[in-house]
Amino acid sequence: MKYHLVSLGCQMNASDGERVRSVIENMGYQWTDNEEEANLIGILACSVRQKAIDKVYSKIHKWNLWKNKRNLITFVSGCILPSDLDKFLKLFDIIFQMKDLPKLPEMIQQYGITTPVGLQQGFDSQNENISEFWHVKPSYTSEFEAFVPIQNGCDKFCSFCAVPYTRGREVSRPSDEIVTEVQSLVECGFKSITLLGQNVNSYGLDKKGDEIDFPELLRRVGNLGNQLNKEFWIYFTSPHPRDMTDEVIEVIAQYKCLAKQIHLPIQSGDDKVLIHMNRKHGMEKYRQIVHTIKRLIPEATLFTDIIVGFTGESDDQFENTRKAMNEFKYNMAYIAMYSPRPGALSHRWFDDVSLDIKKERHHILTQDLKIHSKNYNSSMVGKTYRVLVKGQAKHDGYLAGLTEGRINVRFLSQDENLIGQFVDVKITSAADFSVEGEMITIKESVA
Amino acid sequence: MRSHKVIEIRNLTSSTYVIRMEKNDFTFKTGQYITLGFSGSIDRREYSIYSSENDNFLEVLIKEVENGLVSKKLKRCKPGDYLDVDGPFGHFSLEESEIGRKKFLFIATGTGISPIHSFVETHPEMDYQVLHGVRIEEEAYEKDSYPNGKYILCTSREKSGDYHGRVTDYLMKNPIPSDTVCYLCGNCHMIYEAYDILEKQGISLGPIHTEVYF
Ligand SMILES: Cc1cc2nc3c(=O)[nH]c(=O)nc-3n(C[C@H](O)[C@H](O)[C@H](O)COP(=O)(O)OP(=O)(O)OC[C@H]3O[C@@H](n4cnc5c(N)ncnc54)[C@H](O)[C@@H]3O)c2cc1C
Repeated sequence: MKYHLVSLGCQMNASDGERVRSVIENMGYQWTDNEEEANLIGILACSVRQKAIDKVYSKIHKWNLWKNKRNLITFVSGCILPSDLDKFLKLFDIIFQMKDLPKLPEMIQQYGITTPVGLQQGFDSQNENISEFWHVKPSYTSEFEAFVPIQNGCDKFCSFCAVPYTRGREVSRPSDEIVTEVQSLVECGFKSITLLGQNVNSYGLDKKGDEIDFPELLRRVGNLGNQLNKEFWIYFTSPHPRDMTDEVIEVIAQYKCLAKQIHLPIQSGDDKVLIHMNRKHGMEKYRQIVHTIKRLIPEATLFTDIIVGFTGESDDQFENTRKAMNEFKYNMAYIAMYSPRPGALSHRWFDDVSLDIKKERHHILTQDLKIHSKNYNSSMVGKTYRVLVKGQAKHDGYLAGLTEGRINVRFLSQDENLIGQFVDVKITSAADFSVEGEMITIKESVA
Repeated sequence: MRSHKVIEIRNLTSSTYVIRMEKNDFTFKTGQYITLGFSGSIDRREYSIYSSENDNFLEVLIKEVENGLVSKKLKRCKPGDYLDVDGPFGHFSLEESEIGRKKFLFIATGTGISPIHSFVETHPEMDYQVLHGVRIEEEAYEKDSYPNGKYILCTSREKSGDYHGRVTDYLMKNPIPSDTVCYLCGNCHMIYEAYDILEKQGISLGPIHTEVYF
């Protein structure tokens, strides 16, 4: 019997997907890339954009047609809006919240019966019982990169986002479990591990003193790096500026394995837009965090997320975002044109910035970003960087990888054995969003 | 998501009403909001909680919006109906450590008064001033809940309030001490303008808390 799983949207779904796969494989199902030969197909839905929701509907309609010809069980989990729940129940055989993943085998055995009961109980926005989900050992899709969930849900209520309503409230995973999972990954040779949560730097706060906080969690992971004598990089995403403390930055500076790359979503450079987005911090706070990063970890690269054309964003307000881009000189910014997300508060606010203006703002900001990114990349030329090789580059004969600061690097080599290894690359030229170099040596990671 | 039985509807004006529901075991921090809709319906909206943390019922204050879907439907609910409540959500709440120590200024437009009503009902001992911006006097929803001198009504369309004009005009004419903790709730234009005025008066975003309704 074969199964297929579609993960839509963010890294959180990708990471959850690794656990879902593991549960299904433990039931004896085998993975297939081909939906058409699967007996069990699942989808981890994303409700961030209407497009992703539409995709769920188009997939399930197709799968349901296949049911006329063969036995097929379908399930859906992930981020589901309350307004889609009812419809999904009619279309899918099984619908469950991630916290109930351990019960999936039971549901599959008697599918159709557990589901309505689950729905009657409603989705549990308080997110109790998520711990059982974390006990599921994931089936990792890469041999050198992994995501380790450290919390589920979000308590921040940004007005453009539906996560607090789809994934429920913030619940932190026990630190011992996290550290154990990181340790076993490192021992198995994983080289890039990302601690994952919707809002990582409020880790532990929901436990009100019964759990360590995020800086302490990083310290414990950092100590692991010192003890294990292996080379690996630990990332985290995504933090919220509101809970970002100097202590987090101090800890990153202190430990070698904590990667010197920080993703700090700004969303807008204008205080009023930040109010409208319900970010609960202003530019002053953001600026202070970036200053601390630059002071304590000058080599750190800085990434961000920006939304242009949010409801009511005026030309002046957009200009403030440009100013922020030019002040903080990001290495990378994921710039999104605002589109109302179903289930989010702002969905009901008039989306009054025209698509043309959004496109123009997106373009302007991307051009600004290119300048800063290219400047940084040019400063890398002539220097040698440690690079984790990720796979073949788009250009024939090249391999591609990432530096610790997550700058894309390509270099001439066809040696696929290097994939998943660290190599030293001397940078020879820079482009807008990547650099090219020559491999110097293949340094095996210690141990 | 839980179902709560409606106890009563209190009409405050022809368009604004309070729904009182059974509280059951629901707990919240004053200032938070819930999402509300008829049981089983997919149409839900956010409403700040109007009642106090200590009341043994749950109340929301709702204005029927012209051509609005849910605010119109909810107006027709009757005692005995069941409404689905999800939450509580949000961080528009008071810092425990500041209550009793700081002076508060609460600024609201229209139904933005709802969480503020909950604040002062929960912590009547607070040192506070409410500034409520409405168009006409009848929108001074249950103003008797606030002790004398604590509530200033700013009416923009008639001269009947304590002040004729918008809350922002009042703020400009009556600067406040820079150590005041401010909570702003309601429509975003008022919040933006008030924010600028407060900033000029030396109050920064940290002690300015906001909740935007629309
Ligand atoms: C965090 C939060 C808390 C809220 N708390 C309250 C509350 O305590 N009481 C309350 O009455 N409303 C409150 N609202 C607004 C409420 O959620 C709904 O938007 C409102 O009831 C309209 O819903 P509707 O389905 O009737 O109208 P819809 O069909 O959704 O849309 C009608 C339009 O009216 C606009 N609108 C929303 N509210 C108002 C308003 N008060 N006056 C004029 N136009 C408006 C919307 O932006 C929209 O464009 C709150 C909103 C948020 C985000």
